[in-house]
Amino acid sequence: MMAEVDLENIEVAKVVDARGMACPGPLLEAKKSIGTVSVGQTIEILSGDASTKNDLPRWAAKVGHDFLGALAGEGYDRLFITRKK
Amino acid sequence: MAAKMMIFCGSDDPQKAFPPFMLGSGALATDMEVTMFFTMSGLNIVKKGGAEKIVLPGAPKTLPEFIKVMQEGGAEMIACSAAFPIAKIEEEDLIDGVECGGVATFVIDAEAADIVLTF
Repeated sequence: MMAEVDLENIEVAKVVDARGMACPGPLLEAKKSIGTVSVGQTIEILSGDASTKNDLPRWAAKVGHDFLGALAGEGYDRLFITRKK
Repeated sequence: MAAKMMIFCGSDDPQKAFPPFMLGSGALATDMEVTMFFTMSGLNIVKKGGAEKIVLPGAPKTLPEFIKVMQEGGAEMIACSAAFPIAKIEEEDLIDGVECGGVATFVIDAEAADIVLTF
């Protein structure tokens, strides 16, 4: 995982709004969306599900993408993943 | 590297709620790493005040005592958020030391485990 990434100002290729979806909705949206951006680009997933902030880092590490970190929104999390392959 | 045991706790029926703790505490005693994943009515085990209501006469410890043993032994306890509406609980209702997890947490940890038990 990269350290000290400025998530507030990071360039995002795609924002995926998965708010209102229960697990595994946000995970499946992340899986679908990461394939639609180029290697090196970053997607931002919005999720109100309490599990997503723990699930997506594990998933990214497992499948070989970079989980950059998360920011807290109001009632949801903003999670950032860079496609690596 | 320590062997890993993953236990799927999917019921608050005492006959199914106690064995994960009996076997899990034994695994800790054998220096295994243990992760417990609570979902469906199994969430009542890790709901505040829930374990006290799940009673199994003849069991070696009460459920709250077993939870303490597991937590002191370093077991990871994960509550499945997708089942929160089904069990009618919220994240704030969970006892201390329980993390929220989901499908990815379960399948990835289960793949890495040497032993997976489901109840």
